[in-house]
Amino acid sequence: MHVNPQYKKGVLELCVLALLKKRDHYGYEISEYLSRRIDIADGTVYPILRKLKSEGLLTTYLQEESGGPPRKYYSLTALGRETYERDRAEYLEFARTVETLLEDDGHDKE
Amino acid sequence: MTRNEFLQMLSDELKKRKIADADDIVSEYEQHFAFKMADGFSEEEIAAKLGNPAALAAQFENVGQDKKPMGSRAIAAAGLFFADLFAVMFLILLIGWEIVMAAFSACCAAVAASLFAGVSPWSLIPPMPYGCGFIFGLSLAGLSVLSAVGCVYFAAFIRQLMRAYGRFHHNTMAAASGNAVLPSLSVHPRLNARTNRRLRAVALFSLTVFAAFIVLGMIVSMIVSGALAFWHAWGWFGYPGR
Repeated sequence: MHVNPQYKKGVLELCVLALLKKRDHYGYEISEYLSRRIDIADGTVYPILRKLKSEGLLTTYLQEESGGPPRKYYSLTALGRETYERDRAEYLEFARTVETLLEDDGHDKE
Repeated sequence: MTRNEFLQMLSDELKKRKIADADDIVSEYEQHFAFKMADGFSEEEIAAKLGNPAALAAQFENVGQDKKPMGSRAIAAAGLFFADLFAVMFLILLIGWEIVMAAFSACCAAVAASLFAGVSPWSLIPPMPYGCGFIFGLSLAGLSVLSAVGCVYFAAFIRQLMRAYGRFHHNTMAAASGNAVLPSLSVHPRLNARTNRRLRAVALFSLTVFAAFIVLGMIVSMIVSGALAFWHAWGWFGYPGR
């Protein structure tokens, strides 16, 4: 999916939070998951993770993996969870409004 | 661009921009290369898909770096002290209203119970036939439940208001001392959907009961007493002349 870059940043943050709400992920997993579905450069997820961490929404921990260096896992904090629930509700409401507006533009009649 | 070229360029760009923990950031990209190479991608492919190192480094800018304190801590603390003073007074007022509402609910319940039992404690309840009293009792029971629901809503509101103010207090101090600011909280209480539905249903039901039985009670009283102003017929307010 291609998205206008102006919308992308905020929405990507929300996507990252949504992914981490399900379970903890390591950076590469998140990058792979999102870049497969949304048209972004693979590298852009890491700055987002760092920003969310500096805002206190995420924490990280290292976990040993068999046959490899330890992986850095990202996990939602209580604040992250709270922020996600709020932003999610706001986004869904916004998206619904936009959808109604776009569908009511008389597109079909032209 | 090879893996080493990419990582070197990224590291240089990060250091040029004076971004903290540059090594930590670079190691994250190193891991990305390791995972992708294990999947059989070439170094050039991976680097191309990652994006331009300079552009990536720029995206790490303004991340947690903008912690310059805004204003002075002392001024913020002094301002907050007065804000707190007003907030506490306001809170006392709100809690006072909560108590009044709870007392009102309890009084309605007590009068309703007396009417059901057909007793008039300390002769406080005006005389009326038991049937009329029973109907008025139902109406007052409805009013009691309605105001109890009001109490619950209002308590949730006060609680959320306190939390939102606490967050504001925290954020003001955090901004003044350059710490991370938390998202502000809405002042509207968020009850979960199920509680909300139930409370609304109870409120509507009790309002209906209150309105319906008070009208019914008055009509029945008028018929029984044979007068439009039944309260005069039953001498509710005392008639010193007679």
